[in-house]
Amino acid sequence: MKNAIEVKNFTKQYGQFTAVKNISFNVAEGSIFAFLGPNGAGKSTTINTLVTIFDKTSGTLLIDGKDTTTQKDAVRAAIGVVFQDSTLDTKMTVDENLKMHCCFYAVPKNEVAERIDFALGIVDLQKWRNAIVSSLSGGMKRRVEIARGLLHKPKVLFLDEPTTGLDPQTRAHIWDYIVKLQRDENMTIFLTTHYMDEAEISHMAAIIDNGEIVAMDTPFNLKKKYTKDKAYINTSNSTELECFLQKHNFVYKNKGTHYSIEVDNISTLLDLLSDQKRFIGELEVKKGTLNDVFIAITGKDIRQADMGNKEDKV
Amino acid sequence: MRVIVSLWVRNLKTFARNRVQLIFTLIAPFFFMYIFSSIFSLQSDNPMSYMLAGIIIVNAFGTALALSSSTITDIVSGFMKEVLVSPVKRSHIAVGQLLAAATIAVAQSVPVMILGWFLGLRYTNVFTPLFALVAIIAIGFVFGGLGLFLASVVKNAQTYQVVGMVVQMPMMFLCGAYVPLAILPAALQKIAYFNPLTYTIAFFRAVILEKMGLPKGEMVAEGIAFEIGGFTITPLISMFIVIAFGALFLTLSAIVFTRVDFSRINRTKLNDADIFS
Repeated sequence: MKNAIEVKNFTKQYGQFTAVKNISFNVAEGSIFAFLGPNGAGKSTTINTLVTIFDKTSGTLLIDGKDTTTQKDAVRAAIGVVFQDSTLDTKMTVDENLKMHCCFYAVPKNEVAERIDFALGIVDLQKWRNAIVSSLSGGMKRRVEIARGLLHKPKVLFLDEPTTGLDPQTRAHIWDYIVKLQRDENMTIFLTTHYMDEAEISHMAAIIDNGEIVAMDTPFNLKKKYTKDKAYINTSNSTELECFLQKHNFVYKNKGTHYSIEVDNISTLLDLLSDQKRFIGELEVKKGTLNDVFIAITGKDIRQADMGNKEDKV
Repeated sequence: MRVIVSLWVRNLKTFARNRVQLIFTLIAPFFFMYIFSSIFSLQSDNPMSYMLAGIIIVNAFGTALALSSSTITDIVSGFMKEVLVSPVKRSHIAVGQLLAAATIAVAQSVPVMILGWFLGLRYTNVFTPLFALVAIIAIGFVFGGLGLFLASVVKNAQTYQVVGMVVQMPMMFLCGAYVPLAILPAALQKIAYFNPLTYTIAFFRAVILEKMGLPKGEMVAEGIAFEIGGFTITPLISMFIVIAFGALFLTLSAIVFTRVDFSRINRTKLNDADIFS
């Protein structure tokens, strides 16, 4: 498969400070690639360099085969970007914003109306076409930005924290649109997010910390490799349960009658437990999450990591 | 071309949608006209036609400067970032801004010129009002360039207000629009000779009062030509001085505007987030 994005040995320095240290990765065409990490880890620096706002210190960054330093205009024409902060023209209507975008990207005039219909359809905003942007809610503005990013049919769509500051329902909707886009339009999507669970939809996820990629794989493999499933049991008969767990070599911790058991594959435990129902009061099963992966790799919760590093580039 | 026209229309729409700004911009010239003509009616026999040219130019100047600050709004609101990741050339953005400045300068001046006619300003040559309009458009570009230069250098709304004030006030009062240069102290007169607005007004006054063809002595007496070190600056020379200033401002703004890194700008929104989170 062809690569939509190729990054080789990319390094970015701000004076003495190295924000991104010699990272390399490829994004396959038509896939969703999630770039995860706390603020200050180098996410924004990488995305801003890919979209031609920043200049690299060294390395090669190609988008659709074009170099982000020497072929800026070709790269700009090939990408759509939805930034963390709104970049809409707030005094203009939705329609005027979208028309202006078509004009910036030289969309043929006879296709403009049709493409705006299409893009607004994807994010369910047809009714709001003539509303002034400043009168829309935060979630709607974000949807307008996503629609705008699609108008020129970019090869690669960059989404920098597309759901930050939105309510859970709107967040879920936005991810629905994103998955729909990838599936229907075979668009390559490069996204960054704080919410680890949201990266589950990606085909490939890279975790970046302190400017280095510390893990990169499919979310499934990452979880398999770095997390264990957990079962929480509240028992009526501690002795018998402990005896059972020891017999099968399970690793467990307990607080009184509450036991937490870590297993590689939860179904093995459940099969064995099905014969021992008599001493199980309550049973709760938890699959490993990407957040667990993040904790396992970086030794910190993504939210804690944020607390420590408030610095936000751009 | 399509981008320039779209941006031009967009800038005009943004301007027109701010009703308060629109109304005040359009009535400001009449307000000044009333105040200054009342003051100067004591001194001159035909204050109105003398004042009119000055008021048109000073307002076109003020509007062009003020409009450039909308570039700062675009930077702060984030819209500039959308432009920067698109394949649009930065120079197109600048031209769209300058065209809007020139258009609004014209929109502001036409009612004043019409009112001037009712107040007794007569043109013997039909081309005079046309020539005046061309001059106003050019002036919109010249001072729009100055505004764009300042905006690209300052990049911050609060600072721009202060800088704009410091640049605008002395230029407005030391240019002969309201206060004739002849009655200024010698030191201030010298400063006024470095003011591009001085030449703009001298030239424009000669155009609108149809006094381009007067003998030098009379021109100096009328205040539309100056004697500097034995050399007479006629309105025609003034025109070239204005063009030179315009070229300077446009070059400066082009250099700064196309090179400035808008992505590194401290956005007020981000600072608020830091304070409250």
